[in-house]
Amino acid sequence: MSANIAQSAALEHEHPGVSIYVTVAVFLILLTGMELTVFYVQFLQPVLVPLLIILAIAKFSLVAMFYMHLHYDSKVFTTFFIFPLMLAVTLAISLLLLFEYLLHHLSFAL
Amino acid sequence: MAAQPKPLPVEGPHYLEGGGILGWLTTVDHKRVAVLYGVTALLLMLVGGTEAMLIRTQLMRPDNHVLTAAWYNQIFTMHGTTMIFLVIMPLETGFFANFLIPLQIGARDVAFPRINALSYWLFLAGAVFMHLGLVTHVLNLGTVPSGLPNAGWFGYANLTESQYSPGLNIDFWDIGLLILGVSSVLAALNFFVTIVNMRAPGMTFMRMPMFMWAILVTTILILLAFPALTVGLIFLFLDRFFGTHFYRVTAGATPILWQHLFWIFGHPEVYIMALPAFGMISEILPVFSRKPLFGYPMMAYSLVLIAFLSYGVWGHHMFATGMGPIADATFAITSMLIAIPTGIKVFSWIATVWGGRLRFTTAMLFALAFIIEFTIGGLSGIMHASAPIDLQQTDSYFVVAHFHYVLGGGVLFAILGAFYYWCPKISGRMLDETLGKWQFWLLVIGFNLTFFPMHWLGTWGMPRRIYTYAPGMGWSTLNFVETIGAYIQAVSFIVFFANILLTLRRGEKAAADPWDGRTLEWSVASPPPAYNFAVLPEGGSRDDFWVQKYGTLAGAHGGGSSAAGATAAAHAAAEAAEHIHMPAPSLYPLLFALGVFLMGVGALAWLRIVILGGMVVALSIIAMAFEYPAHGEEAAESEPVFYRGVDNRKAGMWAFLGSECVFFTALISTYMVYKSRNLAGPDAQILNIPLTSFSTFILLMSSLLMVLALAAFRRGDDKWGRIWLLGTAGFGCIFLGGQVYEFTDFYLQGLYMQTNIFGQTFYTLVGTHGFHVFIGVCWLVTLAIAGFLGKIDSKRSLAVEIAGLYWHFVDVVWIVIFTLVYLMRTVKHA
Ligand code: HEM
Ligand SMILES: [Cu+2]
Repeated sequence: MSANIAQSAALEHEHPGVSIYVTVAVFLILLTGMELTVFYVQFLQPVLVPLLIILAIAKFSLVAMFYMHLHYDSKVFTTFFIFPLMLAVTLAISLLLLFEYLLHHLSFAL
Repeated sequence: MAAQPKPLPVEGPHYLEGGGILGWLTTVDHKRVAVLYGVTALLLMLVGGTEAMLIRTQLMRPDNHVLTAAWYNQIFTMHGTTMIFLVIMPLETGFFANFLIPLQIGARDVAFPRINALSYWLFLAGAVFMHLGLVTHVLNLGTVPSGLPNAGWFGYANLTESQYSPGLNIDFWDIGLLILGVSSVLAALNFFVTIVNMRAPGMTFMRMPMFMWAILVTTILILLAFPALTVGLIFLFLDRFFGTHFYRVTAGATPILWQHLFWIFGHPEVYIMALPAFGMISEILPVFSRKPLFGYPMMAYSLVLIAFLSYGVWGHHMFATGMGPIADATFAITSMLIAIPTGIKVFSWIATVWGGRLRFTTAMLFALAFIIEFTIGGLSGIMHASAPIDLQQTDSYFVVAHFHYVLGGGVLFAILGAFYYWCPKISGRMLDETLGKWQFWLLVIGFNLTFFPMHWLGTWGMPRRIYTYAPGMGWSTLNFVETIGAYIQAVSFIVFFANILLTLRRGEKAAADPWDGRTLEWSVASPPPAYNFAVLPEGGSRDDFWVQKYGTLAGAHGGGSSAAGATAAAHAAAEAAEHIHMPAPSLYPLLFALGVFLMGVGALAWLRIVILGGMVVALSIIAMAFEYPAHGEEAAESEPVFYRGVDNRKAGMWAFLGSECVFFTALISTYMVYKSRNLAGPDAQILNIPLTSFSTFILLMSSLLMVLALAAFRRGDDKWGRIWLLGTAGFGCIFLGGQVYEFTDFYLQGLYMQTNIFGQTFYTLVGTHGFHVFIGVCWLVTLAIAGFLGKIDSKRSLAVEIAGLYWHFVDVVWIVIFTLVYLMRTVKHA
């Protein structure tokens, strides 16, 4: 039985406190504000896509690391999540590349 | 075999005894669920085999008219669909893996026993649903013509669109596959968590039996491949039921999208079938060579490498669509790379057998034949991995030869070997070896006679999927020979089924360890008791049972020192057996599947049945949720429910979220690809940024409330926990309200699902996300109610944490959607 207790103790990963949760929320709002700024400000339009992607990644990571506790929890979960995520991103990029070619190809043929 | 320890005496009945019919309907024992899978899949094997015979009989002679063209289409479609989804997959994962995972890793059951039962019942529902078209056709029900699915197992668009396939045939296929997909993903989640988290304390990854490695990798493939198919099927469903244009060129869309989604799933799918077979062979060969598996680490790594590469090769099925030189070259290279890890495996199997003291049992014969036949199929695979060669071979009988060598001579041979090898453990009786050898030789002869000539026929230009051919083509002789071969295979399967039936009636009783096995399943009685192990094993070395018996991994020279240990263990067993709590049976998995089945039928017949089915599903979920804590709690006190330091449910949730990543990616990519191909009508400019910025804010804040709820429950502050939970749900409702407003607004501006390809992809993507939010709200409300009932305290805060993971995931998906769909509304992607 004692082995059990030891194991359940290992289960209890440390959780961030309320203050961290609130800080993260503040950052999330700030980042969203920045996203809107990028969206509306005219001279940022040429770099719209990279800026928005960076901001989205920042928000995504904040939620995943602190609200979903990946930062504190067993690394196993990070692996469970990161690997599919990378695969998914690769698939998305490949599809976009494949279809772009397809489109040019068709318009060329037409 | 002097060194053999005595099997542990079985206290009380083994797993097959007792319970009656109700016991089987409500069972959650992985071994019983496995048997249900096995019996069903064997029956379906008879169906699929009969279909094969019909195909071959029709093709036996030129200008033959055993089947009409219309029937031929239905028969070959169902032959492929049945063999892949209803025979091979369920036999490998549902039957063998299900039975063996806990026994090989030293556990009492899988991580989620009720979900295991649910997977089976959903599988049954999907299998029956697929065949409903036959019933409606024969009974002439309904106003629309129907019949079995008839567009091939890969159901290419736009043949599957209602314009070209107006009957219900494709709907049965579409919905049936959706149901089967859910079943497979649930099973994969379950097995994945079980293998990762419930191995015996000493069993590191590098000590697992190779079959466990194969299944582990297979489950990952299932989790990350099926979502692409699901998305493709949902699009098809929308096209057929709601008049969208996901695959219609006239609207600016392209049927090629289906091919991509299908083969992103489809090529991993062939490895979903191949890897478990690799695993089975890797168990059988060492036992009958009396040598350990050669190159264990490389065997494991090559499985991982194959799985990884298999996601990057789907385009080799699409060379003929004109993807362009860069894409063609890339896919050709990645496809050929797969030959490297596969070659490593083949040579390691040969090295395993090399110099061993071989015993040519039927199982061993099948395993050896597997190596040869599979390699033949692999070689033709490498041939058409080359794009220019493939243009000659694609859609010809050459491809049919290729995949029958890998799937028939390969995978099926492995499965048959596995039957001979594990049947004693599963049924407690030995399959007859004489009949087995008859079956084997008949099959080897029949198989090669049927499929080898297809290489020539294909090269001579005989296309696949033609229902007949003219006499002067020069194809007649070989087709005749092939059909004779097929009949010989049929005889071999009659021998097989006779063998099974005879065995069950009066086969020789099996000892616990009839083959002098190496892995843990042979250390328990045949058939095993319901709880598998009286004392959970340590699993401290590779081929653990062999080492227990002989002291070393390599030879059988050691003394029988462990016999005494076994007696001591038996004593402990008798005591322990009284304290083992197995999960209680449950009827809800069956009800759940029934509800899903009703929803499917309703979609084709009567909307009200959909609602009825949905209610049955919802009720079963809620019932299952509240059924759980009662015995979950009990189990927690008496048994370690986890071994590896993480919680099963949390691991399951994370694996599910991984799968969801691929699901949403398929949706989002489709949106981006189609956005700039919109022909007319409103496009992304219509999107309302201020409104959705507000929604985004709300959803982000709901995530804050969610973690506050968790924190409150964890410090024992139930009151605030409930308040924050309801607050989260409330914010979720506001978000949904915003979405309803947005959709209504667009409707009023004339943007419907059917208006253009922007409308359909937008509503589908954002609507699917909204649906996830809706599910989340229901979940949170249920939790809040549980909180009011006093069922959630600091010890049970995990329930909140898991719901939270889901909720936050929905939130991060929104972050992505908000950026890619809304903020980038002006950006052209393609
Ligand atoms: C060296 C490894 C392999 C390579 C390079 C390879 C390559 C290919 C290629 C290029 C095709 C497309 C042929 C065409 O339609 O023109 C194909 C089809 C197919 N392969 Fe393989 N393959 C390999 C192994 C496997 C394995 C292990 C399996 C299953 C166990 C498999 C099952 C299939 C199936 C079912 C199809 C036909 C799909 C259809 O058109 O209905 N292949 N393979
Ligand atoms: Cu492939």
